[in-house]
Amino acid sequence: MVAREAGVPVPAAGAVSIAIDGVSKAFGSVQALADVDVRVRAGEFLSLIGPSGCGKTTLLKIVAGLVPADRGRVTVGDRTVTGPGPECSVVFQDFALLPWSTVQKNVEFGLLLRGVSPGERAERAQRTIAKVGLAGFERAYPAQLSGGMQQRVGLARALAVSPRVLLMDEPFASIDEQTRRVFQDDLLSLWSEERKTVVLVTHSMEEAIYLSDRVVVLSPRPGRVHQVLEVPLPRPREGGDVRATAEFARLVDGLWKILRKLQ
Amino acid sequence: MVLALRTASVVGFLLLWEWAARVPISFNFPSPWATLSALVALLGSGALVTATLTSIQSLALGFGAAVVLGVPLGLLMGVVRPVGRVARVYLDLLIALPTAALVPLVILSVGINVVSSAVIVFAFSAPFVAMNAYGGVRDVRPRLVEMARAFDASWPQLFVRIVLPSATPMILAGIRYALSRAFVGLIVAELLLSPFGLGRLIMSSRSMFEHDRMFATVLWTLLLSGTALAALARVEARLLRWRA
Repeated sequence: MVAREAGVPVPAAGAVSIAIDGVSKAFGSVQALADVDVRVRAGEFLSLIGPSGCGKTTLLKIVAGLVPADRGRVTVGDRTVTGPGPECSVVFQDFALLPWSTVQKNVEFGLLLRGVSPGERAERAQRTIAKVGLAGFERAYPAQLSGGMQQRVGLARALAVSPRVLLMDEPFASIDEQTRRVFQDDLLSLWSEERKTVVLVTHSMEEAIYLSDRVVVLSPRPGRVHQVLEVPLPRPREGGDVRATAEFARLVDGLWKILRKLQ
Repeated sequence: MVLALRTASVVGFLLLWEWAARVPISFNFPSPWATLSALVALLGSGALVTATLTSIQSLALGFGAAVVLGVPLGLLMGVVRPVGRVARVYLDLLIALPTAALVPLVILSVGINVVSSAVIVFAFSAPFVAMNAYGGVRDVRPRLVEMARAFDASWPQLFVRIVLPSATPMILAGIRYALSRAFVGLIVAELLLSPFGLGRLIMSSRSMFEHDRMFATVLWTLLLSGTALAALARVEARLLRWRA
C-alpha cells in the first residue's frame, strides 16, 4: 500500500503534479516574482524557502488561485489555474478559523461551501478531526484552544474536502517549538498514509529538511528559483532520531550556506 | 461582592435623594417615598398603563424601522464602498445634528400622531444602527475572506458565511445603543409635540406642579428602558457565546 523505501514515494491514487511555468508577479512597482519555474511531482513533499520578501507566499497563493500571475502559467494536474479549484486546500499561518463556529463547524466549512449534505459533512468532519488528534474537542470554540490545536483544526478543515494538493503557508510559524515537533511528526504520518502532493512555505531550514523530498530555494526580490535541493533522508522520518543524524546536520548546514549568500 | 456594591450604591443614591428632598434644593422637590407612592397611584389609576401603551407603539414603530432599514443600509455601505463613502457623510450629519430640531419639520409633514413620534424615534436611533453595521463590515478580517475564497466560495456564500457573522457583534452593539437613543427620542418627541404618551404625562404633571407624579413617570420610563436594554444585552450575550 504505502511505499516506505527511501526516495520512492508512491503517490496516492489521486495525487497530481504541479507545473509552475515562467510565473512573474509585480505589486505596483515592486517585482515580487520573476520567471519562476518549479515542477512538483505527484505525491511529493516540496518546501519553498528563501529570505523574507522573496515572494514564496505569493507563489503559493498563485498556485492556490488566490492571486493571479502577471505572466506564466500554473497547472495543477490537468487544470490550468485561473482561480481557486477543488484540488487544492490551503493551510494558513494564522489558522484563519471562524471564531464564531465550533471546531466541528470549522472543519465542515469547506464541505459546506461545496454543497455537501449535512449528514455527510458531519461524518467526514468527525473522521478528519479524529485523524488530526482532536477527537473530543468538536464542540469547543477556537478561542478555547491553544495555537497548536487551532492549527490542527486548520489542517483538518483543509483535509476534510479530500484535496489532492495541500498548500501550507508557514503553518508552524506561530506555534511553540515542542508543539511544532509533535505536529510535524503527525503531519508526516498523515502524509505517508495518503501521499498527497504538499507544497510548504517555510522560513525554517530544519523544518524544510526534516519534512521535504526537495527544497526549492528562492532568491530575494524579485524571487527566482535559486537552487533546488534534494533531501535523500530515508522515510519514515517521524518519531525517529533523524534530527540527530550527521546527514541531517550536513543537509541543514548545506541549506544554510546557500541561504547565507542570499541574505 | 458585586451584589453588595450594587445594593450599597442603590441605598446610597436613595439616601442622597432623601437628603436632597429635605434640604430642600428647590420648591416641591419630591422625596423617594413620595415618588414611589405616586408611581403606585399612577399604575393603579391606569393612567401610566395607557400612556405606556401609546408610547410603546411609537417606540416599536420607530425603533423597528431603524433596525429593519438601518442594518441593510449599513451592510450595503460596507459591501459597496462608494455607497459607504457617500452615505456616511449624511449619517455623520444626522448624528451630529441636534435631532430635536427636526421635531417642527416632522409635525409639518406628518402631523401630530403616533407616527410623528415614531419618525423622531427613528431619526434618533437609525443612524447608529447603520453606522455600526457599516463599521462591522469594514472590520471583517481579510484573511477569513481569503480562506473562504480558497474554497472557491461564491459571493453570496462569502456574505452569509463570513461578512455577516463577522459584523454581528458590532451590529448588535449598535442596536443596543440605538435602543437607548430611541427612548431619548421618544420622550423628546412626546415632550415637544404629542398630546399623549409618557412625555405628555411628564408635561402635564409638571404644569400641575405635581412633581411627585412627574418624577414617578420619569422613574417609570427609566425602568422601561433599563429592562429593555437588559433584555437586549441578554440576547446579545447568547448570540455571542463564542467570545469566550
